[in-house]
Amino acid sequence: MSVNVDNENFDKEVLKTNGIVLADFYSETCGPCKRVSPVLAELEEDYGDKIKLAKINVNLDAKLARKYVVGAVPTIVFFKDGEESGRIVGAANKSEYSSAIDKMM
Amino acid sequence: MQNKLYDTVIIGSGPAGLCAAVYAKRAELDFIVVEREYLGTGQIAESECVDNYLGLYAENGFDLGEKFRSHAVALGTEFYNGELTEIIPDNDIYKLIVSENELLSKTIIYAAGAKHRRLNVKGEDEFSGKGVSYCAICDGAFYKGKTVVVVGGGDTALSEAVYLSETAQKVYLVHRRDSFRANRALQSRLSSKENISIMFNSQIEEIIGKETVEQVKITCNDKTEFLKTDGVFVAVGTTPESEVLKGIARLSPGGYVFAKEDCATTARGIFAAGDVRTKLLRQVITAAADGASAVYSVEKYLGMH
Repeated sequence: MSVNVDNENFDKEVLKTNGIVLADFYSETCGPCKRVSPVLAELEEDYGDKIKLAKINVNLDAKLARKYVVGAVPTIVFFKDGEESGRIVGAANKSEYSSAIDKMM
Repeated sequence: MQNKLYDTVIIGSGPAGLCAAVYAKRAELDFIVVEREYLGTGQIAESECVDNYLGLYAENGFDLGEKFRSHAVALGTEFYNGELTEIIPDNDIYKLIVSENELLSKTIIYAAGAKHRRLNVKGEDEFSGKGVSYCAICDGAFYKGKTVVVVGGGDTALSEAVYLSETAQKVYLVHRRDSFRANRALQSRLSSKENISIMFNSQIEEIIGKETVEQVKITCNDKTEFLKTDGVFVAVGTTPESEVLKGIARLSPGGYVFAKEDCATTARGIFAAGDVRTKLLRQVITAAADGASAVYSVEKYLGMH
């Protein structure tokens, strides 16, 4: 499941969500972000309802990025039961993301 | 894959590597493209606008890279995601160690490109991704209404300063020399921006902050000053990705692989293409040209001409 998230609904969609959430801090002008986007969509298909993808456009909402000390995109911050459990900065391949997810399961 | 002997292995999927792939397909060579970055297209993906590639005016760099990649993919190019860590000459062939796997090939087209040169100052590592960036179009969004410092004096530095000036409140362009080496069109665009201040003869000594960047220590004409800033964009050129060829092919003092227009290196069967090669001008169009020339040289080497 993928949801667009901003400062208004971050608590509800990420921090108060049980299970695994991938918070994808991205920008539409960023090439590596465009590459990562279909990879994340594949992960959504692979894992189904075991993960939730929260898309945060830093062009629209820089507050959240500042709050979570995200200064480069793409940055994927992994949350489990509302707690950050790690992050991957920069574009990575699918296996790196899936191994991070598997570790949280 | 392990026991297969390729005609050539192309290292890198930037414009040089992808153009080599297109030509290698047309030459019916048995080859594979090794790429470190997943679905990568090289440095071009970080360019806001490429307006000097013939026939494709004012193209977004990422989109242009995708076009190159689509072309190679449409012809049936096979890609292998991994990092080349060692090249082992073995009689007339090469063993390539790629992410712990072994590829065998009669020749290599080495088009690994170049990476961002670092400032090598205190705080650069600590604040990388937390205020220190190497890509304005990637990370510029974090600095809307804020102050940023851009370091460098070439095309990339000036492009980034102009790009950031559209959203940042203030841009300082810090350059160690007393003039820019960027092209004149960019210098004209720069001079029209009122919120960019140019600091010549200046060098960053340290990047300072707590969680994120807060200021930089700069020496300017032998005077030291502290400048408050929210971000530092480093654009001080590139360094060639040639480490793996050390001891195998001759490198220039700057690390570029010695090769002329035929792309032949001092190592038999290894051809260097694109930004990693010693050359006059490093641009997308010259990299693509190298890809084509390198394949022609491979064909000649394999006795196909």
